[in-house]
Amino acid sequence: MFEEDIKKLKVCDFDELPGPKSKEELDEMKAPFEEYCKKAFDVGNEMVKPEALKGIRWLSTTMYIFTPHSVANLAELGAECIKVEMPRMGDPMRHTSPFNEAYLYPLHDTRPMTGTGLGFTNANVNEYYITMDYHVPEAKRLFYNLVKMSDGLTECYRHGTFDRWKQGYRTLMEINPRFIYVWGGGFGYGPKMFGGSYDILGQAHAGLASVTGAHEDFGGHATKATNWVIDWYSGTQITVCILAALHYRRKTGLGTMIEFSQVQAATRCLGYTAPLYGRFGIVRQRWGNWDTQLCVHGIIMTGKTDFPDAQNPQDKFETRYVMLSAFQDADFQELCNIIKKPDLFSRYKTHKDRVGAPAQIEIYKAIEDWAADKSRSEVVRIFKENGLLAAPVMNDREVYECEHYRQRGTVRWNDDPLFGDILVHSGYSCGLMSKTPRRHRWQWRPVGADNVKIYHELLGVPMSKIQELYDKGIL
Amino acid sequence: MTDIIWCKKDVGGKPCDTVNYLDPYCFWNWEGKVACAECGTVYYIHMIQGHMYSGPDEKPGEKPDILPLYADKPNDGYSNYLPGIEGRTRPYHCLPRHIYLGKADMVKFSVRGRPVRGWRPQPPSAGVAGSFGYYWDIEKLSPEVWAEYQEKIAKGEVKDW
Repeated sequence: MFEEDIKKLKVCDFDELPGPKSKEELDEMKAPFEEYCKKAFDVGNEMVKPEALKGIRWLSTTMYIFTPHSVANLAELGAECIKVEMPRMGDPMRHTSPFNEAYLYPLHDTRPMTGTGLGFTNANVNEYYITMDYHVPEAKRLFYNLVKMSDGLTECYRHGTFDRWKQGYRTLMEINPRFIYVWGGGFGYGPKMFGGSYDILGQAHAGLASVTGAHEDFGGHATKATNWVIDWYSGTQITVCILAALHYRRKTGLGTMIEFSQVQAATRCLGYTAPLYGRFGIVRQRWGNWDTQLCVHGIIMTGKTDFPDAQNPQDKFETRYVMLSAFQDADFQELCNIIKKPDLFSRYKTHKDRVGAPAQIEIYKAIEDWAADKSRSEVVRIFKENGLLAAPVMNDREVYECEHYRQRGTVRWNDDPLFGDILVHSGYSCGLMSKTPRRHRWQWRPVGADNVKIYHELLGVPMSKIQELYDKGIL
Repeated sequence: MTDIIWCKKDVGGKPCDTVNYLDPYCFWNWEGKVACAECGTVYYIHMIQGHMYSGPDEKPGEKPDILPLYADKPNDGYSNYLPGIEGRTRPYHCLPRHIYLGKADMVKFSVRGRPVRGWRPQPPSAGVAGSFGYYWDIEKLSPEVWAEYQEKIAKGEVKDW
C-alpha cells in the first residue's frame, strides 16, 4: 500500500464509525443482543406496526392449498386480498377436513348445517371472501372491473381455461397493463399440459418421494411427507415470484405473467440429485432417517417413550425418537465412549470411513442397541451433557408447549372475530420482521361474507343488483 | 382408488341401489365373493392391482368370502352401514380412537378453556348476498356459553396456555 493511502486511512471521522454516539445509545448497545431483538420484534404487538404490502390488492381465484397459500402470504404481509369462490359452494378445501370433523359453521347462509373444515386453515388468512360464477357472461363486467382495480391475480384452473373464458393474461393485460397474472397448477405447458395437480403428485412426479423414506432393503418404500409440504412450499415460491414481479413493475410499469408448475417446483428441493446423475449417472436412493453425506447425523429410536402413561397414542408410543449429530471425529469418539463401544471409533476413525453404507448400518445399530433400555429424554440428556447435539423429535403438543416457540410468538392464541379462541401459527412461523411484521387478523370467513363490502363499497354495484345476481346464483 | 360394487338387484320390485365399498387400496389383488350389505346378493369379483379384472357377477346361493367394509345409498340420503355391523359389513380392526367416528365434535371451549364459536347450527348472517359482520359477540349470540365461561373463570379453569 502507498504511504498516501495509509495516511488517508488514519484520518477518519469518528461520527462515521459504527458505535454509540451518545450515552443513551451506548446503554442501548450494551444491552444484550437478545434484549435488542425482543424489543425490535416486540412479539404480540404486530398490529401497531406498518404493513409491508399495504396498497396492493390481489385477487385469488384459487382452490385447495397450493395457490391459495401464495395469496395468504401477501395477505399476512398487508395486501388486500379478495378470495373469489363459487357461489354457495366455496373452495373445495373447505369440505376437505380430516375425518369430517372439526368443522366451523356456518359455511354459507344457504347451507347452515355445513361447515368449513380445519384443512382450510392457514391457506387463506386475512382475506375478503366474495362469490362469483365468473365464466357466466353477466359476471364478466364485474370481474373486469375488479381486475382494473387490482394489482394481480392468482388462479389455478386447468391450463388455458381462463384464456378460453376471456379472462386469461392475454385479455387482462389489455385491460390493465400493470396486471400481474399468476397461473399455478400441475404441469404447465408441455406434453403433460392438461394434468392437474395435488401435493402428492408434485412429490411423486418431481422425484422427491423416490428419495424420501427408508430404502427397500430396510423395509421402506417411496414415501410422501405426511403433510402437504409441496403445496405449502410451491405457494411460497409463487409469492417470491409475485414480489419480484411487483419490484419489476415499479421499475418498468409493466405487469408479468407467472406460470408456475407444481411438479417442476418440487425438483428444487432435491439439491444435488440432478447434477449427481449428470456427472456420474448415479440415480439417487433413499436413505431414510440417516444422512448420505454425514455420519452420525440422523434420527434414532430409543427403547422407552417419555410418556408411557399418556392417553394419546402419539405421546404414549411415539415419543421415543431422537435427532442426533456427531459427525466430526472428536464428537464421534465421544459418542463411541458414551455408548461404550470404543472399538467402533478405532475402526471408523475418519468421516470417510464411517459415511459408507455398511459402516452406517453398524454404527446406528450400535447406538440403538445402547438406547434400547433408555427413554428419549434420558438419551438426549446424556448426549447433551457430553457436548453432543441431540434433540427430541417433538409432536404437536410438545411444539405447543415449547417455551422457545411461545417466547417468539411462533405458536399463539388468536381471538378470531368469528370463530373465537383459535390456536394459530401461520404467518408467525414465517420469520420475524422488525419494521413490517406479518400478522394474523382472521383465519377465514364464510363463503361470500364480503360480497357487499367488495361489490357495493368497492365497485359501487347497487344493492338491488347484488341481490338480483345473488338470486340468480351468479354471486 | 376405492372400488365399489353398486348393487342394482331387484328387491321387492325396487332396485337395491346400494354402493358397497371395497378396500381403498390401489394395490389390492383379490379374487372371491362379496355380499351386498343391504340385500345380501353375492357377487364374484377378481381384482388385479386395484382394477376390476372380472365381475362383479352375481353368484346366487353361494356363501360370500368377505363382506364390504362400508356401504351407503346415495339416492336415499346417503343412509349407510358403518364398518362392523354384524352380517352386513366387516369389522374394521384398526378402529380409530373414539373421537374419530365421523361426527363433528361440537367444541364450545378451546383446550385452554376459552370460548370458541362455529359449532352448529349458527345463526344466519342476516346480510345481503350472504355477507357477514366482522365480529360475533359470544356474550350476545350465545349467552349460555358465556355464562358457562364465567363459571369456568370463577373455578380457575381458564388458562393462558
